[in-house]
Amino acid sequence: MSEVQRRKYSQEERTSIFDGEFMPHIDSMYNFAFRLTFDEDDAKDLVQDTYMKAFRFINSFEQGTNAKAWLFRILKNSFINDYRKKTKQPATVDYQEVETFYNSDDVDYQSTTDLRAESVRDMLGDEISNALNSLDVDFRTAIILADLEGFTYEEMAKILDIPIGTVRSRLHRARNLLKEKLKGYAQSMGYNTEEEEE
Amino acid sequence: MQCSDVSKCYELLERILDGELGDEGRDILKEKLEKCQPCFEHVHLQQAIREVLKTKCPKQPLPETLEESIRKMIQNAR
Repeated sequence: MSEVQRRKYSQEERTSIFDGEFMPHIDSMYNFAFRLTFDEDDAKDLVQDTYMKAFRFINSFEQGTNAKAWLFRILKNSFINDYRKKTKQPATVDYQEVETFYNSDDVDYQSTTDLRAESVRDMLGDEISNALNSLDVDFRTAIILADLEGFTYEEMAKILDIPIGTVRSRLHRARNLLKEKLKGYAQSMGYNTEEEEE
Repeated sequence: MQCSDVSKCYELLERILDGELGDEGRDILKEKLEKCQPCFEHVHLQQAIREVLKTKCPKQPLPETLEESIRKMIQNAR
């Protein structure tokens, strides 16, 4: 199959795929890259590398399939292979470990106070953003893909190279962690939480 | 009234909100919202979080030169 794929697009077709299907996602790609690296130059390099790879391997892209998911997958892999090492992020914890740790289901119900929907709606964009950015990269990525970019679980499974069941549980853990962060903000900012009403 | 294992429900509810269960999900959601207070609150909170993530998270502006430099790079690679 790959033999056929190797020369499937003409020069013109390649240009039209690149301009018509790849370039329109540059904004999302850059924002994803920035939320992974927290650095404008690194994000720029990462997006450039991704597009360069996308062009080089364009014959393995099936026209009419989800270009955005395909590009995100390349970007994520480039980040893991090339950037994770050099960014100043704390040494990454093996996420299997993290997942097991948070799988102790009590994260859901540790605390008696809960965060209120209204408090969340009152928060500033920067507070939301900081809470998201403070999550471990794998949890952060899950939230970005699902909630900011609107990918389905199936697409996420392909982008992240993990089974759908893992997407599901990672996303659930990620949401719990994000909720805890937001709750922390809400309490420190004096937003209304249920505890205060008692 | 509430479900016996809300923590299980939460995961299910999140999948429904993510649109992973289709029409079946809508029915389950309706039932849970009517019958279980913690589920009701969880759904509303999750919806609020999704909403603010989508609408309030500041977007990083695309560097002006990025698109052009990618196009140049591709041209050179041809």
